[in-house]
Amino acid sequence: MNSLDPRIQRAEPRLSRITEVQLPPLDHWPTYEVFVQRTRGGHAQHVGSLHAPDPDLALILAKEQYARRSQCVSLWVVPTEAILWTSAEDEDLFHPATDKSYREPQGYLHTRERLEKYRDRLKPLS
Amino acid sequence: MYGNLVVRPDDIENWGKKVHEEDPEKLAEFEARIDRGEKIEPHDWMPFEYRRQLIRLIEQHAHSEIIGALPEGTWITRAPNFRRKLALMAKVQDEVGHAQLLYSAAETLGKSREAMINDLLSGKSKYSNIFNYPAKTWADTAIIAWLVDAGAIINQTTNSKGSYGPYVRALERICWEESFHLKYGYDSVVHLATGTPRQRATLQDALNRWWRPLMHFFGPPDQQSIHTEKLVRWKVKLATNDEMRQQFLDMYVPKIWELGLTIPDPFLHKDPDTGKWIYTDPDWEEFWRVINGNGPCNKERLAVRRFAEENGRWVRDALRPKNAHYVTPLA
Amino acid sequence: MLENLQTLILALADDDLFMGHRHAEWIGLGPILEEDIAFASIAQDETGHAQAYYQILTDLGLPSPDEWAFRRQPQDFRCAHLVELPNFDYDYAIALLRHFLYDAAEKVRLQALTQSTYEPLSLLARRLQSEEKYHWLHARTWIERLGRSTEEAHQRLLAARDLLWPYAWALFEPLPNEPEMVSAGWVPPSQTLREEWVTLIQPILEPIGLWKEPPAPAELTPLLGARHGHRSPYFEQLYAEFTEVSASEPEADW
Repeated sequence: MNSLDPRIQRAEPRLSRITEVQLPPLDHWPTYEVFVQRTRGGHAQHVGSLHAPDPDLALILAKEQYARRSQCVSLWVVPTEAILWTSAEDEDLFHPATDKSYREPQGYLHTRERLEKYRDRLKPLS
Repeated sequence: MYGNLVVRPDDIENWGKKVHEEDPEKLAEFEARIDRGEKIEPHDWMPFEYRRQLIRLIEQHAHSEIIGALPEGTWITRAPNFRRKLALMAKVQDEVGHAQLLYSAAETLGKSREAMINDLLSGKSKYSNIFNYPAKTWADTAIIAWLVDAGAIINQTTNSKGSYGPYVRALERICWEESFHLKYGYDSVVHLATGTPRQRATLQDALNRWWRPLMHFFGPPDQQSIHTEKLVRWKVKLATNDEMRQQFLDMYVPKIWELGLTIPDPFLHKDPDTGKWIYTDPDWEEFWRVINGNGPCNKERLAVRRFAEENGRWVRDALRPKNAHYVTPLA
Repeated sequence: MLENLQTLILALADDDLFMGHRHAEWIGLGPILEEDIAFASIAQDETGHAQAYYQILTDLGLPSPDEWAFRRQPQDFRCAHLVELPNFDYDYAIALLRHFLYDAAEKVRLQALTQSTYEPLSLLARRLQSEEKYHWLHARTWIERLGRSTEEAHQRLLAARDLLWPYAWALFEPLPNEPEMVSAGWVPPSQTLREEWVTLIQPILEPIGLWKEPPAPAELTPLLGARHGHRSPYFEQLYAEFTEVSASEPEADW
């Protein structure tokens, strides 16, 4: 191959002899999901996935692909197959059906109002 | 309710045939979600056509990155000082990194990385045409890092407003890394433009050779393009080719002229009334010739990728776990 | 004294400079995307380390890192031949084993330099250790795994070992005027470093069948003299490519 690239010239003649390549399934290894904890005190956050042959290499390779520029105090990897997830059809599981403000701070906005009303009733008597 | 998605890698080919069987209720919900500006995530119901088009789009983008690593990668060993050598190493590393992120995003839709690479190497899947041109000199790397990356940023910024979660997340990181590429490219260009007469001359020569591929970068003019109403509706295509080309010209032609360089199109000017850039039609026959395999570097680009894959096969084979099975990445 | 210091620093810097350069030839051509990315970081690190070493000399009023790297005569370099070797046949076994043998030497060297009486060196060595920690982790993990994997991987590593062996040992060729550097407390004797290196790599290579006896003098002799300015047959092409653009306009800024 007549290339301007000296690296390619050095790969000849073997380079030109490779005419067809078919990668079988899993040729590029299974995947791991990557989590980065950016600061102490912060949550580890999912940042993406990568292909790796085992957990140690998954960590080693994830360090450069997911933390070479990013601030990171800790890096986690998990095999993709280890993760269980809720399906899109079941998103409604997360929607409450009735008013549950009894368990939220904003369910208690009227307390002050009740006290004010009571004190207003008392004023003419003093 | 719980589970992981096990998709046979080549199911994709059959899905397109089912496009007329879409559930109208689910389709309406899907489109309403997109209209509300919400993202579609991998486990959502989606029309087969949406899945198919997105895989194609993201896959092509991934291929463009890994192929795009080649013209500039050529010059790493010949970079003229530490700063440029390190920056070029980092830039080309980023391109490989972007390919990794984009293949991962496309994988969430159910096509395996191996299937995508096979389609690239067989010529079935395309990549950005601009990488079928050679980086002949060091000055070419400056022009590429500035103006080709500028075009890519416009493309990527536009697409980052799209509807598919994993692609949008990948693009956010890519856009951020690309901003260094642009600064590096411009810095390199300015050094050449303000350098010796020979440096200026090689820079002008590089610009002369890259101008037409740059004009082709955003694809054929809108009147020549296939109608893509569904892709617009589904926020897969977010701007027209001409809109992005105009944006590029508006942002970069003044900057090019500011350097004292000439653009090899004497007709190029901005219409004061419409605010649109007028230019000589950049020979779309050449565009089609090159994208269909007859450009200066098409054969070389794929030959190198075939070599890299085949050369690395023993390494991947050596470490592949015995009982591995394929699981689609999550997000 | 300055001349000895220059010799020492150039040996360290020139090794890293060309090691980084050879590693960088793999960027975009690696065996899998993820490893391509990781190895590219290692290439950048080594190149950056070279620049940092040269900077010590620059701070003493000597030329800039760019001048040291791009404007010297072959005989003024002090690198070992190991780092001049091409990436023969784009064989990743050679790339990985060279990286393993080299970074083991770096680990041992840097640890020694953290104790150097020459403060700029001890401070720099301390800083560089965090990156070298990653290099060592990367190298040993790969070699340990590949060495226990397939027959093909093992054969390739054996062939790589046979090719690289004398070059790796020649990394520890004593520097010119080394006894003076040792008595000044700048650096331990090369022989000591070599012994520590052997202690580090033998327990890893032996269980996977990649250890062998030190090279015979006849194998080693042609490689000696590197630390005195004698270059390998590969240097000419290496440096011509390295300086292709910089030499095209020597007075230009890029």
